[in-house]
Amino acid sequence: MKTVLIANRGEIAVRVIRTCKKIGLRSVAVYSESDEGSMHTRLADESVCIGPRAPEKSYLNIDGIIAAAKAFNADLIHPGFGFLSENAAFRQACDEEGIRFIGPSAESMILMGDKQRARELVAENGFPVVPGSDGCVDSLEDAVAVSKRTGYPLMIKAASGGGGRGIRIVKNEQELLNSFPIACREAEVSFGDRRVYLESYLPNARHIEVQVLADEYGNAIHLGTRECTLQRKNQKIIEEAPASNVDPAVIAAIQDTAVGIVRKLGYFNAGTIEFLLSEDGKFYFMEMNTRIQVEHPVTECIYGVDLIKAQIHVALSHKLSIKQKDIVPKGHAIECRINAEDPARNFMPSPGIITKMVLPGGNGVRVDTGFCEGDEIPPYYDSMIMKIICMGDDRLEAIRAAGCALEELKIEGVSTSAAFSKAILKDDDFIKGRIHTKWIEQVFIDRFMRSVQ
Amino acid sequence: MKLFYEKIDTEETYEKKPEAEKLYCGGCGREMIAEVVHANDSICPYCGYLFRQPAYRRIEMIVDNGSFIEIERDAESKDPLSFPGYKTKIATEKSKSKVQEGVIIGKASIKGLRTAMAVMDSYFMMGSMGTVVGEKIVIITEFATLNKLPLIIFCASGGARMQEGIHSLLQMSRTTIALARHSAQKLLHINVLTHPTTGGVTASFAMQGDITIAEPGARIGFAGPRVIQQTVNDELPEGFQMSESLYEHGLIDRIVDRKDLRDTLADILALHCKESPRIPKLP
Repeated sequence: MKTVLIANRGEIAVRVIRTCKKIGLRSVAVYSESDEGSMHTRLADESVCIGPRAPEKSYLNIDGIIAAAKAFNADLIHPGFGFLSENAAFRQACDEEGIRFIGPSAESMILMGDKQRARELVAENGFPVVPGSDGCVDSLEDAVAVSKRTGYPLMIKAASGGGGRGIRIVKNEQELLNSFPIACREAEVSFGDRRVYLESYLPNARHIEVQVLADEYGNAIHLGTRECTLQRKNQKIIEEAPASNVDPAVIAAIQDTAVGIVRKLGYFNAGTIEFLLSEDGKFYFMEMNTRIQVEHPVTECIYGVDLIKAQIHVALSHKLSIKQKDIVPKGHAIECRINAEDPARNFMPSPGIITKMVLPGGNGVRVDTGFCEGDEIPPYYDSMIMKIICMGDDRLEAIRAAGCALEELKIEGVSTSAAFSKAILKDDDFIKGRIHTKWIEQVFIDRFMRSVQ
Repeated sequence: MKLFYEKIDTEETYEKKPEAEKLYCGGCGREMIAEVVHANDSICPYCGYLFRQPAYRRIEMIVDNGSFIEIERDAESKDPLSFPGYKTKIATEKSKSKVQEGVIIGKASIKGLRTAMAVMDSYFMMGSMGTVVGEKIVIITEFATLNKLPLIIFCASGGARMQEGIHSLLQMSRTTIALARHSAQKLLHINVLTHPTTGGVTASFAMQGDITIAEPGARIGFAGPRVIQQTVNDELPEGFQMSESLYEHGLIDRIVDRKDLRDTLADILALHCKESPRIPKLP
């Protein structure tokens, strides 16, 4: 029997442990002092405290996690998402100890972790990227020269940024002149790297991503698209699979591009390639996430696969046995993230103890959570309590099922964003698909705040 | 739908290795895995209790990455008194603690400042001082004297090693003389007293530093509290032989948290070194 150590906490740790149990592997949970007795530690076969509550001393503590893995004779380590999931040094530390890391190679992680380098590489191989500067821009003169070529509006992005951080939008040359030095300074302060690059800002664009899966022998498949357009401050709120209201030819092209990139890179294990889809139906590569993603269950629902199990197979050097044409999606799935934050008070985090929790259920409803009644949401980590995933034969059914599930959900003790998600599911623009990445911030928040008052 | 050709092996085929070594926290009583605790600088993640820290871990924590060069790694204890069971005891202690003897010596740099250092390992026979420990302290002290280097000694010891009898006690005067010569050259000697520092080590080099630092909650004394209590036949005061009370009574200069040790040592070195890179030269 193989042993898997899960170097993460909360919902994703529970998710991985459940798959380990299902396929007959021993699981080892790690936890920080403030997570003692939490759900993932109760479910795992073994659990071990790796440090104090500060993430850099526990879930980011490479030495501690490797020591725990050795102490329990772990064969594999699953990093989950966030924390060390895209840390090449962690992967190398695992390799040195002979522990299989469930994820891509260190080279892939380093390459895709540098957003600008990744963009260049993808562009060099003839795949579409958003128009912008070739590489990083060092001086204001160069920035102005790029803007002459691409036009406005433009985004100034930090090369080492990510997850929506380190981005500034400029609408004309005056704003560029003002913002450019500030953006460089911010990048240096926030990421220790003052390099920035410029990119066209596409208004009303949608965020479409492709789930890919590849083995170490060069076999690669995609598992369709996901629509993650609904974001607030670049944090996704509601995700769907597949992307709807898009020309099927465009969807096919996006999927082929994603698989093409994976083949070109020699990438293996699960990954996600994010694209921007502009209003006129053109799509551009944005970035690649070299890990499992929060929203992976929507893909699992419509394709009927277990992506965590697939990741473990790849990490054990197994071969993909399936051809692209053999896997067909079925129906539509919607995921709502429920966070411990108060949407009426500008999404202020609301940590605390869950005094009551009633979960929805039934056909086509899946709840992924790392907490139950009586558990505490600590303030030191992210605020996601759960994900509710609902399926239907088509998009409208899935939306209705999700609305119904959110009605059934009761959480007391902490404020949650459930009411906000519920309001989105009832919104006409959302139902008709008239959304873009800035829709929540520019249109919906005002609507929601009026309805609350 | 089966995505992969191979099946995941779930048979009980793996060799059951010996169970991981456990430690019990002296602060909160929780059971913990030794390796994991030591990866956290041997500090209890729950209550902040300071476990005894293995010597190599401490070196890793204090010195600049990769700067430590060990001296006399392979020195081995002989059995001068043919003490029953001593040879086998050494062999088992070696494999258990993964160090060759009760002290590790070498040179290193801390934030770029060169220093000689000796680190005692209480996981090897409680860091007791036999001929090899004494000899290694003498060697590193002479090395520091010759090379005009400051010397840092991390003490952790149960005292003189009884299995070597008078040979162990002799080491008290040998180390003291070597350190006096180091001192005569006007070179800096810092002692860091960790839990426990007792017996012949306290009675010799552990109390000889120009600057003496201690970790919080460390027992520092000569005879153990039980022995003293039975001798004086009286209740011992609270905090007896603890670093805090020693500090109050002026026997040590400062108590420093384990996580601040590197910074503190670097500061002391910088203040006392002539060619310190951290002190700007006046024009």
